[in-house]
Amino acid sequence: MSKIIENLFYSKNDEWLKDEGNNIVVIGITDYAQSQLGDIVYVEEIKNEIKINKGDVLSTVESVKAVSDVYSPVSGEVVEVNQKLVDEPATVNHDPYGEGWFVKIKMINPEEIKELMTSSEYNDFRKE
Amino acid sequence: MRLIFEKSIPGRVGFSLPTDLFDDMKIVELLPDDYIEKDKKDLSEVSEVDVIRHFTKLSKYNYGVDDGLYPLGSCTMKYNPRINEKLAALNNFSRAHPLAPIELVQGSLEIMFKLNELLCEITGMNQFTMAPASGAHGELTGILLMRQYFIDKGEKRTKMLIPDSAHGTNPASAAMGGFDVVEIKSNENGTVDLESLSKAMDEETVGLMLTNPNTVGLYDEGIIEIEKIIHEKGGLLYYDGANLNASLGIVRPGDAGFDVVHLNLHKTFSTPHGGGGPGSGVIGVKSDLIPYLPTPLIDFDSDKNMYIFKDVGSKSIGMIRSFWGNFSVLVKTLCWILSLGPEFLYEASKNSIINANYILAKLKDYYKPAYDRFCGHECTLTGREYKKYGIKTLQIAKRLMDYGYHPPTIYFPHFEPYADETIMIEPPESEGKEILDDFINIMIKISHEAKDNPDLLKTAPHITPISQTDDALAVKQAILTYDDELQNKDKLNYTEENINF
Amino acid sequence: MRYIPSTKEQQEEMLKEIGVSSFEQLINNIPNSLKLKSKLNIPSALSEFELEENILEISQKNANFQKFKPLIGAGTYRHFIPEAQKALLQRQEFWTCYTPYQPELSQGTLQTIFEFQSYIARLTKMEVVVPSIFDGASAAAEAILMSLRLTHKNKIIVSKLIHPHYLKTIKTYLAPHNTIIVEIPFENGLTSLEHFKQSIDNDTACILIQSPNFFGGIENIKTFSEIAHQKDTLFIQIITESMSLGLLKSPGDMGADIVVGNTQSFGLELDFGGPHNAFLATRKKYIRQIPGRIAGETRDKDGKRCFVMTFRAREQDIRREKATSNICTNHNLNVVASNIYLSLMGTEGIRQYSLLNAKIAHYFEKKLLETGKFEKMCEYSYFNEFLITYKGNDINRLSKILIDNNFVPPLLVQKFYPDTSLQNTLLFAITEIFNRNELDSICNLLSQ
Repeated sequence: MSKIIENLFYSKNDEWLKDEGNNIVVIGITDYAQSQLGDIVYVEEIKNEIKINKGDVLSTVESVKAVSDVYSPVSGEVVEVNQKLVDEPATVNHDPYGEGWFVKIKMINPEEIKELMTSSEYNDFRKE
Repeated sequence: MRLIFEKSIPGRVGFSLPTDLFDDMKIVELLPDDYIEKDKKDLSEVSEVDVIRHFTKLSKYNYGVDDGLYPLGSCTMKYNPRINEKLAALNNFSRAHPLAPIELVQGSLEIMFKLNELLCEITGMNQFTMAPASGAHGELTGILLMRQYFIDKGEKRTKMLIPDSAHGTNPASAAMGGFDVVEIKSNENGTVDLESLSKAMDEETVGLMLTNPNTVGLYDEGIIEIEKIIHEKGGLLYYDGANLNASLGIVRPGDAGFDVVHLNLHKTFSTPHGGGGPGSGVIGVKSDLIPYLPTPLIDFDSDKNMYIFKDVGSKSIGMIRSFWGNFSVLVKTLCWILSLGPEFLYEASKNSIINANYILAKLKDYYKPAYDRFCGHECTLTGREYKKYGIKTLQIAKRLMDYGYHPPTIYFPHFEPYADETIMIEPPESEGKEILDDFINIMIKISHEAKDNPDLLKTAPHITPISQTDDALAVKQAILTYDDELQNKDKLNYTEENINF
Repeated sequence: MRYIPSTKEQQEEMLKEIGVSSFEQLINNIPNSLKLKSKLNIPSALSEFELEENILEISQKNANFQKFKPLIGAGTYRHFIPEAQKALLQRQEFWTCYTPYQPELSQGTLQTIFEFQSYIARLTKMEVVVPSIFDGASAAAEAILMSLRLTHKNKIIVSKLIHPHYLKTIKTYLAPHNTIIVEIPFENGLTSLEHFKQSIDNDTACILIQSPNFFGGIENIKTFSEIAHQKDTLFIQIITESMSLGLLKSPGDMGADIVVGNTQSFGLELDFGGPHNAFLATRKKYIRQIPGRIAGETRDKDGKRCFVMTFRAREQDIRREKATSNICTNHNLNVVASNIYLSLMGTEGIRQYSLLNAKIAHYFEKKLLETGKFEKMCEYSYFNEFLITYKGNDINRLSKILIDNNFVPPLLVQKFYPDTSLQNTLLFAITEIFNRNELDSICNLLSQ
């Protein structure tokens, strides 16, 4: 069973979102997503300070046998990028909810969080 | 195994030189200094004996069709006849320069002309171009000419319909042709869902790319409806001929209404796979599309009584490669067709269909089929029930190697919910019943091992020179040349056992 | 039939096990209206002996190419192929096998590909080598598509002296892309630097120069690439005569970003134009945008060094419509053939043969000029292929004389460049397959 953290929000594309307050959110991919991909060998670099809309492709994650797009669950501006993923992409496998975070976004429309799933909703969604 | 560079010894030579090296011509007088590389480029220095030993040893690390069954679905790994190799290698063919005056290459042109006639009859199409070098190359050619057809008509069409079961080259080729891909779902029978197709087809869509039998090995009986749906909206129907081995002498794509057809000569028509080519992906079209074919075509000029190159005309899409085609592959194809004739082309398809259904019948109680129905020339089983023993389909495949078999195609096609953990088996007509019986027994044995002794599968293969490659490491370390390896020497720290085996 | 082992009895047994009484039941889902009602209208099966006679007869309608030697290159060159290479290629494990998706059963193929990549990297001084795209033309097109993806620009500059088939192919591949294609003219057998400087701007994705070019001339790669780089334009070099890599400066040292090389000269027969092979070599930083298959080194579970197809996430079976290219089957066996050839030739052989090619071609030009019937077309440097103008009236007579004496005549340049100033210009290619006597007697023939 894949791990799901309680106080995060989840998208249908297996991204997680953590609200840090002040309209800043942290985005990553879930344990389910990383296990589906297998050993991650490459994370496409995200440019800092770019404007992004909900549903846009933030990055592409590549494993040996698959490639997956990471979509932004909210609209806003990228304010911080996790550089660790450039040299150590496997961090996403080891610690998807912690060190494997992708970006921090300053939201322009905080209401968008309401459209995401809670941890129990995501748990039901991904139940195998 | 050691690399040729590791066997290199300074001073060794594997070549010979004539006595007259034209030393009266001084290179420094012929070419400016800054164009010439002063130092020799370091390749390797080995003798002819070393080269023979090196590649002989390397060859033994491979598995060929001559070694045994290669049940790869959609690859049609059939026997490569030796007489075809000999005839393609005749000096008059192999040493013909493509730009020689045509009176010197009438034989080569005749081969191409005759092949066109035979392929038209076999497929029900009107004209073939021999230019494309592979199936995917043929797809791109077909897509580009379909594109040109609509531009010529003044119609703006931007979409291409492709079934979810399609081979990856289909959407990739459509994208290269500038089209947006619209995926059409398969129904519970494993064939194209007609309702979805009907909804998706409109006047902004070029048409549908279809493999028939499809990639799960099923002949799509909906083809009559499909043809209507596509043509009613002015679209074109493209045939991916990878699975033609189920149709020779039985049914023809041209009769079913396909406008463009590609054939994989290295599949259906017995030319060798070569470890990944060269093959050939010739394209056949109906008359309306002839003006758009790549140029030139081979024609017979009855006034001059000779074969000639004919320019396709101003509507041609141009060229998709240099020169005329993968000629030696065309010779082998012609030889195979002439050796089988109509009677045995039919027998080839008949036997391939019987073979696949036989395996399906004998294995369906052990590996649940994706679809509960007769198949074409290949059957799609699944390894789903072994998941509960912690066994992945990949591990079943690797265990087969321990019994001397090349695994079937696994994880393709992949579309939910039926085609999951797929094992696609294609036993071509060149495989006799006793081979199939042995394969069936081994697959049954492995199914028992999966339950009783799963570790055997998890640690497989055991008898091959290497086992379970670290594919993630390959990407991470990105060692793509020997010089990359040398630069990483200290990190890699190979021992003698690591390299010399 | 000898290729279809199962007997009628065995077929009946299998049908019984399947649970049907006849084969027709297995195909009864095929609509009756489509099923063929009669045999295909093609000739009845030939016996092996009849086939051989039949095909031999057709082959004899070609000139006796065992004797005929080509004085023509124009993109494909006759070189000597050592018998050891041919013998090794007979080993079925190399040519009847499948694509190396199962590395445990394909180390022969995979290691060979890796060695070939290594050789080409050293010959070109580039870092990453895609070993096989069908031919130079399709590889050139793929290189351009790659440059469009990398730069996000929409204009390309192409020399008019790249192989005419390559130029046509590029246009065909680019048709869906709305790319602006600027062709730059030539002067004195070389691409015009002036026109290039005028045409390049910040919107140029790449420039393509062939060197040695279609006329055999060696281009000033370094100058072109320097100018290209000032505008963030990628420099793509095309090579149709790979033997030149043995003598000329490496593209990597001259600033090339992508190199496309036709490897037919490395151990492949002319084969009436195909199948040949081409590599695409580039810098490591572009690796995620390369088309085609590539082999890489790794270890197995016991730590053994081994080779696998790698960086696969770009390929069509995984990426589908987002793949860098649709290429699946390539020309792998020709990679094996060239790799074996390069192993036999080695450091010394490639060097000596390329020197010989340059010298022998220049010798022949010298002798032709001495006949008084020819004059130099332009003052340029060339490798083993050169332009020369015939001073006589009937250039067709010249071709006829050569054919009567078992030589495939040189290219009439006008065939591809219908310019009146090139009316009497010929393109000769001379490789190591000629000897001095032969060349002298050709000159004798032509001087009459």
